[in-house]
Amino acid sequence: MAYKATKNPTTDLRERLFLPELLRGLAITTRHFLRNLFNPRDTNVHVVDRKGPNLVSTVSYPEEKTPYPPGYRGLHRLVPRDDGKPRCVACYMCATICPAQCIYIEAGEYETTDPSSESRVIEKYPTQFVIDELRCIVCGLCVDACPKDAIRMDTGLHTPSEYNRSGFVWDIPKLLQGPAVSHASDPWNKRASSATPPHQHHEPHTRIGEGLVPLKLPTGEQQKRTEVTDQAIPVTRFLKD
Amino acid sequence: MKALEVIIAIGVILGAIFGLSALAYALGGWIEAGFPFFGHRLVESGLPGWAWVSNMLILVLGFVMLIATFLTLAERKWSAMIQDRIGPNRATIDLPGLRGRPLGGVFHVATDALKMLTKEDFRPKVADALLFNLGPILAFAPVLALFAVVPVGPQVTVFGQRVGLQVANPDFGMLWVFAIASLAVYGTSLAGWASNNKFALLGGVRASSQMISYEVALGLGLVGVMMAFSSVRLPELIQGQTTHLWGGTVELPRLGAVNLGIPAWGLFLQPVGFIVFFAAAFAETKRAPFDVPEGESEIIGYFVEYSGMKFGLFMISEFAEVVILAAITTAIFLGGWNIGFGFDSTLTRALTQANLGWLLGAIYATVFWIKALLLCYLQLAIRWTFPRFRYDQIQSLGWKILLPIALANIFITGALILVDPSLRSLAVLGFVEIGFVLALTLRRPEPAGHEADDAHLPADAHGHAPPPLPGAAAASHH
Repeated sequence: MAYKATKNPTTDLRERLFLPELLRGLAITTRHFLRNLFNPRDTNVHVVDRKGPNLVSTVSYPEEKTPYPPGYRGLHRLVPRDDGKPRCVACYMCATICPAQCIYIEAGEYETTDPSSESRVIEKYPTQFVIDELRCIVCGLCVDACPKDAIRMDTGLHTPSEYNRSGFVWDIPKLLQGPAVSHASDPWNKRASSATPPHQHHEPHTRIGEGLVPLKLPTGEQQKRTEVTDQAIPVTRFLKD
Repeated sequence: MKALEVIIAIGVILGAIFGLSALAYALGGWIEAGFPFFGHRLVESGLPGWAWVSNMLILVLGFVMLIATFLTLAERKWSAMIQDRIGPNRATIDLPGLRGRPLGGVFHVATDALKMLTKEDFRPKVADALLFNLGPILAFAPVLALFAVVPVGPQVTVFGQRVGLQVANPDFGMLWVFAIASLAVYGTSLAGWASNNKFALLGGVRASSQMISYEVALGLGLVGVMMAFSSVRLPELIQGQTTHLWGGTVELPRLGAVNLGIPAWGLFLQPVGFIVFFAAAFAETKRAPFDVPEGESEIIGYFVEYSGMKFGLFMISEFAEVVILAAITTAIFLGGWNIGFGFDSTLTRALTQANLGWLLGAIYATVFWIKALLLCYLQLAIRWTFPRFRYDQIQSLGWKILLPIALANIFITGALILVDPSLRSLAVLGFVEIGFVLALTLRRPEPAGHEADDAHLPADAHGHAPPPLPGAAAASHH
């Protein structure tokens, strides 16, 4: 040995003897072993909420899933109208803003005889609306850019796995899903006169994630914990005092 | 509920051990009775009769190999529990009643074995074929041969024949252990050499130097026990440990005379010898913290070129060494099948009168294996608790610490036995040593010391408790 690596500066008898410290180490590991052996594992979805003597904090993923926080951006969907057609008016705003350029749109024009184009409030619709989910970087800019609330990322789903790349290219039949949304400001809801009662929202409050995918949310106290507040989290929270 | 499952599992394991022991006794008795012209050699020469055949099959191939196989699973599962993980739990068998039930990962034993057996058996082109194939054999065979002299159960009368659970009981008992244990080094160094790989060769050199260094301490650690009981034969060592140091016979109602004294277990007589032997034998098994020859994930070891079941042989021999080290330590230091606390005499008297020799033997063998399994757990826990020694630390521990301690222990033990042949003063010294270490262990550490104890973590948050909010912290300060 080129250096005196074994020189031990410790003068404490217990540490010099080595054996007591070994026994203490064994006691710690054995305590962990016995606690985890004899006690059932707490499968609470949030690891921080797990209590009880069992110390295992693993989330067995396919069987147990941690719920995503509110505002989680899941798989896209094209929002349908009440009549099942997409709300999209093929304005290309999402395709334009998309930094990954994963959205491809071909616009079509409603025939004047088409009943859904009455009073020509909607002129265009997408004949092709394709998102390459492999290219998508899930930034959510398309949702922000959409002037018609026609594209959302509120499904709370992952992109499902596929065996080939073409499976990740999602077109209208795959994208058009979820509950229909209509706003009072939608042109097809324009009243003929003020005598007509105002349009009632089918989905009056359009919070992200609402009513779509039944998330396995914890109950009671844990829901409070994950509540989103408007206040920024102070940096000092992460510093030890 | 979980606790109940664990207790049921432990019961199943003990039941299996008991059943296998009873089977061994019954088979041994049947063979002895069935071959009368070969039998009765036991009484005259001290060698067991033809029951050694069944003993070899059931003890070595049954007990040792089964326990070693399940230890491969236990290593993974127990380490997971020690480290707050779940461990292997994915393998299931698609049969009615077993579907989707991993049963604590038992089926991973089968999957591991299948994986080993079906992997390509690769041999480097430049490796020496004969020596390359000889390596795993020479590493594995001595380990099993070691077990020949270990007595698992006492000699009892089954079918009118005296049968003991021991393959062979030669006069040189313990010396056989030393001789065969040192043969295992040939396997490792041959594997390192024959692989024709520099790293494997270095690993083999590390392994052989470590094993040879610890041979000395291994042997000297046991000399004290040999002197105390004046024998090197393991059954006589166990018999010696059943004697009582203090305490006399108590007449109890319905049980008769019961000796409630302190048994003369080797651990009480020779705590230092126990530590030296256990540490040295641990180094012989080449397991952490002595796994410099072949640290699984970090250090390229002597079996780097081995794949498939040849590697599996190295691995299973490691676990077989664990079992055999546990069994030898049980026999020498933990009183073998001796229960103590007055159970032995009562049990022996009752079952001998009832002519249930096999039952007595099976109970004793189960007690033996309970102790051995606890030692197996201890070895696995040590492997997952202690950090690896550096190579120079291994050598200095062996030569500069264990060897002088073992020599001093021999001199002190010899002097005390010379002065007091009743072994009581030796036991007093042993208890003082044990008490000293325990007192040091239980002493509260200095507050300045950084304690690695996790007792200070909040009990309800798995150690994942988020740091308190600034407001809460401020409130608690006021």
